[in-house]
Amino acid sequence: MAQIDLGAISVTEANKLIRQYGEAGEDVDILNPDARHHIGVGLTHPITARVHGSAGYFCAGLTDGPKFVIENNVGWGLADNMLSGSVVVHGNAGAIAGVAIRGAEVVVHGNMGSRAGQVMKEGTLCCRGNANFMAGYMMYGGRIIILGDSGDKVGEDVTGGSIYVAGKIQSLGSDAKVFDLPSDELDSIMEFLDRYEIPFKGTFQKIQNSGKGLRYSKIEPRVRNIPFYTFSGESDYWNQKVQEDIHVKAQIGRYRIRGYGAARPLPHLGDIAFRKDLTSAGSDSGVLDRVNLATEVGGKNGADPLKLSMPLLIAPMSYGALSKSTKVALATASRLSGIAENTGEGGMSDEQREEADQLVYQCLSGRLGWNIHDMQRANGLEIYISQGAKPGLGGQLMAKKVTKEIARIRGIPEGIDLRSPSRHPDVLGADDLVIKVEEFREATGYTIPVSVKLGAGRVRDDIKIAMKDGFDYVQLDGLQGSTGAAGNEVLEYVGIPTISAIQEALDALAEIDCSGQLQIILMGGVKDGVDAAKAIALGADAVAVGTGAIIAGGCIACMQCHVGTCVVGIATQDPEHEKRYNTAVEARNMHRYFESIRWQMAAIADAHGYTDIQQLGRGDLVALTPEVAEITGLPYEPGYRNTQPVAAE
Amino acid sequence: MCGIAGILFKGDHRNLTTGQALINMLDGCQHRGPDSTGFALYRDANEDELRLRFLVGHGAEAEQSVESIKGKLAEYGADIISEEAIGATYCFVVRYDGDVQKFSYAMENVAKLVSIGESLDIIKDIGGAHDVDDIYDVHSFNGSHGIGHVRLATESDVKPESAHPFWATGFADVSIVHNGQITNYWKMRRRLEKRGFEFHTDNDSELVAVYLAEKLKQGATLKEALKGSIDDLDGTFSFLVSTKDEIGYAKDRLAAKPMVKFEDDDIIAIASEEVSLNKLFPGMALNTMEPPPGTYETWHR
Ligand SMILES: Cc1cc2nc3c(=O)[nH]c(=O)nc-3n(C[C@H](O)[C@H](O)[C@H](O)COP(=O)(O)O)c2cc1C
Repeated sequence: MAQIDLGAISVTEANKLIRQYGEAGEDVDILNPDARHHIGVGLTHPITARVHGSAGYFCAGLTDGPKFVIENNVGWGLADNMLSGSVVVHGNAGAIAGVAIRGAEVVVHGNMGSRAGQVMKEGTLCCRGNANFMAGYMMYGGRIIILGDSGDKVGEDVTGGSIYVAGKIQSLGSDAKVFDLPSDELDSIMEFLDRYEIPFKGTFQKIQNSGKGLRYSKIEPRVRNIPFYTFSGESDYWNQKVQEDIHVKAQIGRYRIRGYGAARPLPHLGDIAFRKDLTSAGSDSGVLDRVNLATEVGGKNGADPLKLSMPLLIAPMSYGALSKSTKVALATASRLSGIAENTGEGGMSDEQREEADQLVYQCLSGRLGWNIHDMQRANGLEIYISQGAKPGLGGQLMAKKVTKEIARIRGIPEGIDLRSPSRHPDVLGADDLVIKVEEFREATGYTIPVSVKLGAGRVRDDIKIAMKDGFDYVQLDGLQGSTGAAGNEVLEYVGIPTISAIQEALDALAEIDCSGQLQIILMGGVKDGVDAAKAIALGADAVAVGTGAIIAGGCIACMQCHVGTCVVGIATQDPEHEKRYNTAVEARNMHRYFESIRWQMAAIADAHGYTDIQQLGRGDLVALTPEVAEITGLPYEPGYRNTQPVAAE
Repeated sequence: MCGIAGILFKGDHRNLTTGQALINMLDGCQHRGPDSTGFALYRDANEDELRLRFLVGHGAEAEQSVESIKGKLAEYGADIISEEAIGATYCFVVRYDGDVQKFSYAMENVAKLVSIGESLDIIKDIGGAHDVDDIYDVHSFNGSHGIGHVRLATESDVKPESAHPFWATGFADVSIVHNGQITNYWKMRRRLEKRGFEFHTDNDSELVAVYLAEKLKQGATLKEALKGSIDDLDGTFSFLVSTKDEIGYAKDRLAAKPMVKFEDDDIIAIASEEVSLNKLFPGMALNTMEPPPGTYETWHR
């Protein structure tokens, strides 16, 4: 049995050793833990690790297979996302014990803090003492066994799985209900307790979802389907789209859920022009040889950066919202163009991993499809806080798209209207977030960049937090950003425009003397290389495209994304619809679209006489409207609005 | 955006000064807030003596500040017993027996007043617990109790005056450290302002301090004041409050912010994370507990 003394070495060194012992199949004793965070994180071998004392946050988190024994207490996030194996804690556990577990067995001999088992999917969380407030909050599956009492709101917003309480139930959460306990379930509990040598006599009350709130009672009707292009760009009061919204509401009695982004006119990159006369830009085909576009992203803290052939990424879009074929086509296109693809919410597929050379893996609040193995094979890890289409809200995936396969990957019940949580269980402030980021780094040996995706709301504060919490780069998404499904009013009115977002981000970094120290990837309505070049000139380090990529890959904006009956097989999980999608052809189409962006960026830089795209700067830009001048601080020069460019003076 | 810690000695100090205990605890959770660190330290009070600590900066600016403070002190008939410049601060001990609220509002208007009290002394500056200790010699401070804070600055700048703890502006000897965010800040502040209370920052921790101090002034016990705060304040919070003789905590109903407590016959120690408590007892397995949501508790020295 090997020994590790945390009084003598750091947790990072210890975790490296623990993983080495894991590979060698040797058990470890961990001395002087003194409640330090991240002990044992990232371990994927079935060894036993015994912690002689208390452990801090995320003990045994992001693991698969090991056995942990902790002799005293543990902090927040015990066994976070543990896939298999077991953890036995002899003292108390802090908040969110067993958060997001997917098969592990977790036993706490003392009491558990609040929100135990939040968003857990599979496995058993057992507490001999009392469980605090909101045990089983938003759980999707598995079971929680509480031998003592349960606090307020047990089973709040539970979707799947069962909570068994032997003691008093202080109160039930919304959507939770007490059911009779079948004898085979009691037998199974007793077998579990025997196995962990927990003596118990008595019985349980069983709590599950009441079966009422898992689906919207009415879904959006099939309307005439005005395509997105028809309903955007017009006045934002009485137009065809407003009329359609009202028709929908008249049928379903609530806000309308739809895909795409804000449809009303907003200040955007089109309101900015280059000072330089660019009429001759691109007449020369040799620009690609003359302008450097290669960009590295995410290396600032020593992780292996993404190596992009140009400052362009594919925006995170979930497998779930999109079909597997579409995700594979995006991955292929990213490889062909030498850029990075992003899983979005809902996990990574093998096919996607194989196709993409560089793949960023996104972690959302519901931890849907999140696991240590895919983390370790990713090229980037990303914590999603929000997106421009719906800042502050969780994802939505309507029942028709929650197929057996999607439910399996995500670890949720099939056929529900999935509303992912709006908050991470373990990120309730910048102070918690810093510990979360560290957990990811510990689990992956500090080699993979960790980014954050931010929807544009309070960008000033958020960017400062991102900087201070040590993220390697930021993906910043403005109000124009699209989605697979969100409420219409949120899409239209929540957040700030993309150009306001980048401006606030730059101002925020300047305010804390950190200009240039945090790479920002801007997205939300970037449609071509001209927009990309303007965004970079404004101060973004790179851009990402979502909608543009999808349109290049065949989307006709029929507005059925959320329903899942996409006629071209993109935003669907229906095999009949997906059949219509020709993955190889669409991958080529997207690739050609990305190449057009490359070429335009190079041509614009070249026309300015630059040899590197990053030489573009704010001095090269003017604002065409007073509003955009006010937002960006660029000079207001309406003369440039003329189609005939004024000659440069 | 921060970490908090507090300690009250009921008996044996176990070879730790109050200052050193707080330094150790705050060092243990410095990851929660690397930008600034602060301490509210309580010593035995001398009747009619008030300690005032001001942030004055350095050089000519400081000299000018000290001059105007002295002028104001004289105007209010406060006799200076001792004075000392340390770090960016200047500390006076004065003899004063008038109305403290008026006195402190007047002092606030001539310079940045950090704390006032018969026993309270707030020391806060940018940097980590050890950085602040290097300048202010916190570790040699010994008293019955104290609370401390590490801050990650987001909404305001990294300046000593925006560091915590906060003193309850206008009320001697009441201080607070708070982790979280009060969402009905302006509503509560307006309510208190209407009743004549002044605020010197836009920080929600100052609001909590003034809120509690006002209740105490009305005759409530600290326990009653804390109970009221759980009903009246919205948002997420875990905070520690300290007065001349007592220390207490309150935790919001959503339990969104962490807090762990350890108690034995000699001490009561509370911190954001157990790792801070273990800094007091290296290598030991502690019998700790996490206070439930919506609870409060107080301890008398
Ligand atoms: C179908 C679809 C699914 C999306 N899924 C996610 C997601 O899982 N995670 C995420 O961060 N953003 C998601 N987004 C938002 C995009 O990452 C991105 O912010 C947005 O599309 C950028 O704006 P653009 O579409 O104008 O390029 C999704 C967008 C679409 C269109």
